[in-house]
Amino acid sequence: MSKLSFRARALDAAKPLPVYRNRDLPDLTDCVSINRAVPQMPTGMEKEEELEHHLQRAISAQQVFREKKENMVIPVPEAETNTTYYDRLYKGEFKVPKQLIHIQTLGLDLEQADYDMDSEDEMLLNRLNRKMELKPLQFETMVDRLEKASTHQLVSLSEAKLLLNEDDYLLKSVYDYWVRKRKNCLGPSLIPHIKQEKRDGSTNNDAYVAFRRRTEKMQTRKNRKNDEASYEKMLRLRREFSRTVTILEMIKRREKSKRELLHLTLEMVEKRYQMGDFSGEILREVSLPLVEKPVYSTPITLNSSNRHKMDFKMKKKQAALTDEPPYDQLRPKKKNFRQNRLIPPQRWHDSPPCPYTVDQADIKQYDFHSSGEDECSVASLSPPPSPDEENNPDGVFVFRRKAGCQYLSPCVEQTTADVSPQRPPLCLHYSLTRLSLPPHWVGLGRRRIGRGGRIILDRASCGLDLILKQLDSFTHPVCRSRARGATSLLSEPVTVDQNPPLMSDSTHPSLAKVVNNIQMLTMFCSRPRPAQDNRPEDCSTSVSTLEGSRVLGHPSLQHCSVQGGITEEQYHSHQQQLVQMQKQQDSCTALHRTQSTRVNESSSKTLDPASAQFAASAVISVPPNAHSGENKPYRSSVNGVHPLGPPRPVHSSLSRPVLSPRPSLSSSSSRQSLPNQRSQAGAISPHTARPSAPTTSSLKFATVAASLDQVPKVSTARDSSEPERLLNGLSETTLPMEVT
Amino acid sequence: MTKMADNFSAVDIVEGCRLPVLRKNQEHEDEWPLAEILSVKEVSGRKLFYVHYIDFNKRLDEWVTVDRLDLKKLQFPKKEAKTPTKNGLPGSRPSSPEREVVRKSLDLNIPPATAPSRGKTLPTPKRKVEPPAPLAPQVSPATPVPSLPSSAEASQASVFPAVRETNTTFKAREEHEPISSLTTQQNGTARRLIPAPPGRKRKANCGGADEMIKVLQYNKPQSASVFLPPPPEDSQDSSDGIPTAPRMTGSLVSDRSHDDIITRMKNIECIELGRHRLKPWYFSPYPQELTTLPILYLCEFCLKYLKSLKCLQRHLTKCNLRHPPGNEIYRKGTISFFEIDGRKNKNYSQNLCLLAKCFLDHKTLYYDTDPFLFYVMTEYDSKGFHIVGYFSKEKESTEDYNVACILTLPPYQRRGYGKLLIEFSYELSKVEGKTGTPEKPLSDLGLLSYRSYWSQTILEILMDLKPDNGERPQITINEISEITSVKKEDVISTLQYLNLINYYKGQYILTLSEEIVDGHERAMQKRHLRIDPKCLHFTPKDWSKRGKW
Repeated sequence: MSKLSFRARALDAAKPLPVYRNRDLPDLTDCVSINRAVPQMPTGMEKEEELEHHLQRAISAQQVFREKKENMVIPVPEAETNTTYYDRLYKGEFKVPKQLIHIQTLGLDLEQADYDMDSEDEMLLNRLNRKMELKPLQFETMVDRLEKASTHQLVSLSEAKLLLNEDDYLLKSVYDYWVRKRKNCLGPSLIPHIKQEKRDGSTNNDAYVAFRRRTEKMQTRKNRKNDEASYEKMLRLRREFSRTVTILEMIKRREKSKRELLHLTLEMVEKRYQMGDFSGEILREVSLPLVEKPVYSTPITLNSSNRHKMDFKMKKKQAALTDEPPYDQLRPKKKNFRQNRLIPPQRWHDSPPCPYTVDQADIKQYDFHSSGEDECSVASLSPPPSPDEENNPDGVFVFRRKAGCQYLSPCVEQTTADVSPQRPPLCLHYSLTRLSLPPHWVGLGRRRIGRGGRIILDRASCGLDLILKQLDSFTHPVCRSRARGATSLLSEPVTVDQNPPLMSDSTHPSLAKVVNNIQMLTMFCSRPRPAQDNRPEDCSTSVSTLEGSRVLGHPSLQHCSVQGGITEEQYHSHQQQLVQMQKQQDSCTALHRTQSTRVNESSSKTLDPASAQFAASAVISVPPNAHSGENKPYRSSVNGVHPLGPPRPVHSSLSRPVLSPRPSLSSSSSRQSLPNQRSQAGAISPHTARPSAPTTSSLKFATVAASLDQVPKVSTARDSSEPERLLNGLSETTLPMEVT
Repeated sequence: MTKMADNFSAVDIVEGCRLPVLRKNQEHEDEWPLAEILSVKEVSGRKLFYVHYIDFNKRLDEWVTVDRLDLKKLQFPKKEAKTPTKNGLPGSRPSSPEREVVRKSLDLNIPPATAPSRGKTLPTPKRKVEPPAPLAPQVSPATPVPSLPSSAEASQASVFPAVRETNTTFKAREEHEPISSLTTQQNGTARRLIPAPPGRKRKANCGGADEMIKVLQYNKPQSASVFLPPPPEDSQDSSDGIPTAPRMTGSLVSDRSHDDIITRMKNIECIELGRHRLKPWYFSPYPQELTTLPILYLCEFCLKYLKSLKCLQRHLTKCNLRHPPGNEIYRKGTISFFEIDGRKNKNYSQNLCLLAKCFLDHKTLYYDTDPFLFYVMTEYDSKGFHIVGYFSKEKESTEDYNVACILTLPPYQRRGYGKLLIEFSYELSKVEGKTGTPEKPLSDLGLLSYRSYWSQTILEILMDLKPDNGERPQITINEISEITSVKKEDVISTLQYLNLINYYKGQYILTLSEEIVDGHERAMQKRHLRIDPKCLHFTPKDWSKRGKW
C-alpha cells in the first residue's frame, strides 16, 4: 500500500482539481512523462486472475475503444432460457399489489412438509390408492415426520405409530416403503439438506459443509460494550419483575384478608341478629373490656375517619334493625363493635411473628376502607365534633403510612382540644411532654431521634406552659385527677391498666418493663417509629415479671374507678382474665399443651402467637438506643407507686390529655400502665393458650393488619355466654392498636 | 523439465498433467490452449477429463473427451512444473513460503496450487468423489516434505501453540520474502494470524503500513511465525483452540487455502430456475447427493433445491411465494428490490447463497448468513417477481464495504442489470450517508462492471461541472466521493484508469479527452436502466444497537 500512500500524498483528495478538456491544453503532452511515473492503483482482483486472458483482452479492448465491443466480452458458460413447461409448472397469475410488498416474518413458518414426493413415491401412492385414499400431501407429511424424527437411526415401526396417527395398514406400507427407500438413498436423508458442521471440528475442511454457525461473536469493542449494557438492563429488568411479583403476592394476601374481614363482619352481624342484640346491648357488654385496654395510646395517629367509617356503616345497618341508642351511649359500644368486627380473632391466632414485609404500596392499597365517605365523627366521647371534622377530621394531615414503619394505634379521640382539623403532620406533632427523671413538664414538645440515637426534644411554647409549671410543683394525684377529668369523658377506662407493670417495676425493675415504659414515653411523642427487634427480648424477660405484676396490678386496678360505660368490676374481671391468659400463654409457650380453659369455645378466638407478636411489636417499636437511654431515669421514677395514684405519676405525667394537639392525651394517668402490661402480654402471647397451629392465612392477615395504621379491629361476634373472656383475650391483642 | 513423448495414451493421463486441449473460442474458431487435467472419470466406458484452461477463468473448465486432448504435447506433473499463472507469478504476487516448500519438495505430480489437501493423496481418478473432510486432518501442505512432518501436523491440528513450535523449524525460510506474508495479513483482524495462502492473493486493496505493524506487534513473541508456511487453513482464532477457521467477516474467501480439488471443480451440471437453465460456473455446496443429477431444480421464488421435476411440481403446490420473502424497498417499472435479513430468513438466504456460489468463485459459504442483508433485484411479470440478481451486504462492515457479493444471474447478464445493482448499492450508501466499496477480491466481471459504473458516475459529474464565474471548474476527490458515495480510493483508481489525472504546471489536473467524452456519451445513451432514488423506501438500521447483528 505504499503506492497508495504515495499517491495520496501526491494527490491531495481535499485539494480541488481543475477540470480541463484536452483541447484546451495543447501542451499537455509535455507532461505525460510525469504522469507515467504515477503508479497504478490496485484493481482489487487477485493477481493471477487479473492476468487471465479474457479479462486482459477485454480491458485492453476497452482501453482502445473506450467501449465494450461485442467480441471483447469475457465468455461465460451459456444459459438457456425457455423451458417449455414453465407455464404449466408455475400455475396461476400473480397480481402485483399497489403497495410495496411488506412481509410478515411470522407468517412464513407454516408447518409444511419439507419432503416433496418424487415419481417413485407417486407409483407407491397409485398402488396404495387402489385400496385406500392417500393424498400426496398426507404422504409427504408422513415421510416428513419420519425423516425428521430419525437421526442416525431410523425410526422404528412402533415409534412411527406413535408419530403418525394413521391407519395401521397404511402406516405399515408407507413405513416399509420409507425404510426401503431410505436405505437406498445416497444422502443422509430423503430431504436433501446442506451438510451440517460437526461439533468436533472434523468438518472444518469439508467443502460441502456450509453455513457454519459463528461460534464467536464479532469481536469489536462496540459489541462488547453493548453486551455489558444489555446485561445490566436484563438485571434491572429481572429485579423489577421480581418486585412486581412481590407486590402482586402482597396484593393477593391483602385481598384475602379483606375477604376474611368481610366474612367475619357478616358473621358477627348474623350472630347479633340471632341473639337479638338489636340494641347493641350485648355487643357493648362484650366489647367493654376491649375498650378498657385501649387506654394505651399509641404514638401513631390512626386515621380516625377511616376507623370510624366502618362504624358508621354498621350503624346504618343497625339503624335498619334497631332504633339507634342515644349517641353518647352508643359510642363506646360502637367502637368496640368496630373492634370486634375489624379484627378477626382467629386470624390473629394464626399469624406468626411475621416479619413485616409489606411495602408501602401495599399498605396504601390496603387502605380499603379509607375511601371518601367519612361521615363518621371523631368517634370519641368528647363533645360531638363539628361536621367538618366528621367528614375529614385530619384534613390535609390525614395520616399517611410510611414504608417500613409499624404503626401503633393512636390516642386520638378524647382530645377536647382536637378541634382544629388542621393538625400538623405526624412528625411535627407536639405533645405535652414531661421528663420523667427530674420530673418536669416540658410543655409542648416532640421527640426526635438524633444522631447516635440521641433523643431530641423540640419544644414549642403554648398557652399551657404556665399551667404546666404549676403542674410540676403539684403532686401526682393532682395530675391524676386532672387526667381523670380529662378521661372522664371517655367511654371506657382507657388507661386503666398501666399500673401493674409499674408496680412490678418497683419490685423487679425488669428490662421489659423499662422498655415498656420507654415505649410509653415515646408514644406520647406521637411519632411513628420504625419496627424494632426487641420483641423477643421482651418476651423472654417480661414473662417472669408478669406474674408479679398481675398480683400487684389487681389492687391498683380495683381502685381504678372507671367512668364511662365500664364498671370497675367489669374492669377487674377483665384484668384478671388478662392475667390469667398471660399465665396460660406462658405455660403454653413452653409446652403448647393445654388448651386454655378460658379460651373455651374456639381457640381461634384467642390470641395466637402471631397476633400477640404483632401486638407486642406494635407497642415496642422504639429504637433500642432510645430505650437504653431512658431506661434508668424512668425506672427510678417508677418506684414507690401505690395502688391508685403513685404508680401513675410517672406515666401519666408523660402527657396530658388536656389540650395537646395530638390525642396522646387519651391515656389517663392511672391507666397508662396498661399498655405496658399489655405489651408484655402481647410479647408473651406468642405462646398463647392455643395449641392449634396458626394458619397461614391468618398469619397473613395479621401481617397486613400490623402494617396498617388503622387496624381493622374486628373481633368476631361472640355468640356464647362467655364472650367476654374471649373478647378480653382478644382485646389484649387488639388493644395495642386501639386508641380510645 | 517437461517430459515429452510421442505417444501417450489416455491411460497415462493423470491429474496434474498438462496438455493443449481443443476449445472453441467466441468466434467459434478452434484453439488449443494449454490446460491442466484436474480430474479423470469414466462414464460408460469412456474416459472424461476435467480440464482447466490455463490463463482462462475457471468458469470455462469442463469435462472433455480424450479426442479433444493433444496427447502429443502431454506434460506430466513435475516438481518444478508450474504454470506461471497458478504459481508464483513473479510480478503479480510474491510467492509465499509455503509455495516454496512445495516447489522445492514436491517432485511428485501435484501442481502446487492444489497443494493443501492434495499433498498427500496420490491423484487417482476416484479421489475426486471423496469428500475431503476425512482426509483433511492428515493432509497438510507440508506433508510431502519429509523433514517436517511433525510441524506440519501441528500447524494443521491447531493454532497458535502449534504455530509457535513450527516456528523454529521454519525459521530457515524466513528470508523468504517475508513481506509477502505480511501483506497477506492486511485484511485479517490483527489477532489472527493468517498465513499466505498458496497461490492466491488475498484482498489487495486495503490495509496499510500500520496494519502490518499491528500484525507484527501481535505476533511479537514469535514474530517469526508470520513467515510460517501457512497451514492449510486460516489459523484464526488461535485463542479458542478450534483448529482453523476462516475469518468471520466478509463473504469472500480472502485466501484460497481451502481450495482443494473438490472446490476447484464444478459439481453441478445444470440448474433449472424458472424459465432458465443455468450452467454453473463454480463449485457450490449443494447437498452432495444432488450433485450427480443432470439437472438440479430450484423453485424460482424460494430457491429451494429439488432433485426432480416431479418434486418441484409437488413443492410448488405447497410454496406460495411469488416474490423473494422480504420487504420490497424499491419499485420502479418492473424492477423491484427486496431486502432480506440473513438472520430472519435463513432458508431463503442460504438457498440464495448456494445459487450465487455457482457463479461466484470467491464467495465463501463457510459461515451462516446472519450478518448479512440480501438485496434481491427482481423483474415482475404476471407470474411473479423473478430474481434477476442480488447483492449481499454486511449489516455492519468494519471496512466500509457496501457490497459483499454481487451477482447478476447469467440469463440477465450484459443487459445493464449489473450496473443497476451497483447503482442501487450506492444509493443505499447515500441514504446511509456513507461511502462504500465492494468487498474484495473482485472477479473479472466484477472489476469490469464496477470500473464501468465508477467511470460513468464520475464522468457524469465531471462533465456536468460548470465553470463558476469564469473560473475553470474544479472539484476535489473528496467531493466526488461524497456525491457518489464511492470510496475515495475507488475514485482515484477510476480517475487513474481513465487516465484523467495529469500533472500540469506544478499541479494535478483532470483532463477530459475527446474520446473519453464521446465514449461516455455513447455509453450513457445505452444505459437505460437507472435507479430512481425517489422510488427507494429504505431506512437504514443501526445494527450495532441490536446486539448480535
